[in-house]
Amino acid sequence: MSQEIESRMRAALRPVAPREDFSQKLLARVIAGQPAQPKPRRLLAASARPLAWWLTASLAASLILAVGVERHLEQQRLQQSGLEARREVVEALRMTSQKLNLAYEAVKNQSTSLADEKSGV
Amino acid sequence: MKKFSLPIFLALLAPALAWAAPNPRLAIPEFAGLAQKATESVTITLDPALLAMAGRFLDGNDPQDAATKEIIKGLRGIYVRSYTFDKDSAYQQADIDAVRAQLAAPGWNRLVETHSRKTRANVDIYIMIDDNQAIGLALIASEPRQFTIVNIIGAIDLDKLHKLEGQFGVPKLDIDLSKTPAQGAQK
Repeated sequence: MSQEIESRMRAALRPVAPREDFSQKLLARVIAGQPAQPKPRRLLAASARPLAWWLTASLAASLILAVGVERHLEQQRLQQSGLEARREVVEALRMTSQKLNLAYEAVKNQSTSLADEKSGV
Repeated sequence: MKKFSLPIFLALLAPALAWAAPNPRLAIPEFAGLAQKATESVTITLDPALLAMAGRFLDGNDPQDAATKEIIKGLRGIYVRSYTFDKDSAYQQADIDAVRAQLAAPGWNRLVETHSRKTRANVDIYIMIDDNQAIGLALIASEPRQFTIVNIIGAIDLDKLHKLEGQFGVPKLDIDLSKTPAQGAQK
């Protein structure tokens, strides 16, 4: 009985010689070092390509938008500073002319009173 | 060695010349204490960059703007401090004297010094002249409830400044600007 089992196992596990091109294929694959990509991964890469494109495009658009907004804000800041400076210049000159007028009034009044004194009024 | 001696000499001389040149810029104190007491205070500090920027925002087609633009063209600075109080004698004369003392320096000439009994207002106007050109103007106006200090730096055209008064709705001055400062001074 045991002999029968043993002989069956031997028959099942008998050495089988590889096919003639096996060693050639194996060597070629080792030299190339590029194992064939499995099908599912290839499918993933193909679907990721549009996603990467959209990501790049979105990033570029965001960057352009950010630069545009920053420039607009800078322009607004400059305009505000310019208008403020303009207001200050006008205010400063208005105050100066007002005080000059005050001096003028005093000079005029003094001249009038001196003229009155001379004429004996 | 001779090649380098002149530039080096000039470089060494420049700070000394700058120091010796008349400086129309007044050291106006902060007046921080007065600003707190004042009901209204005006602090205007316009350096050359701000004046240039203001000039770009003045409309040449508007008569007032055009006149203002013409005046600030040669200016290098405008400094104004003005304080208004709700009661008389809220400020000390000493506050103003610190500025007035600077006008005793060489280069400054008193153009007008007025005192009005009616309004109890004192207005002193000083100009600094260099090479027959007004390069600085200082104005100190003190009234019972207000005092104002104006310091204008640069090539001031008094005629243009004088003409500007009408533009702001203030009557034109009739000061004879051709008179020398000493002749123009009123005591």
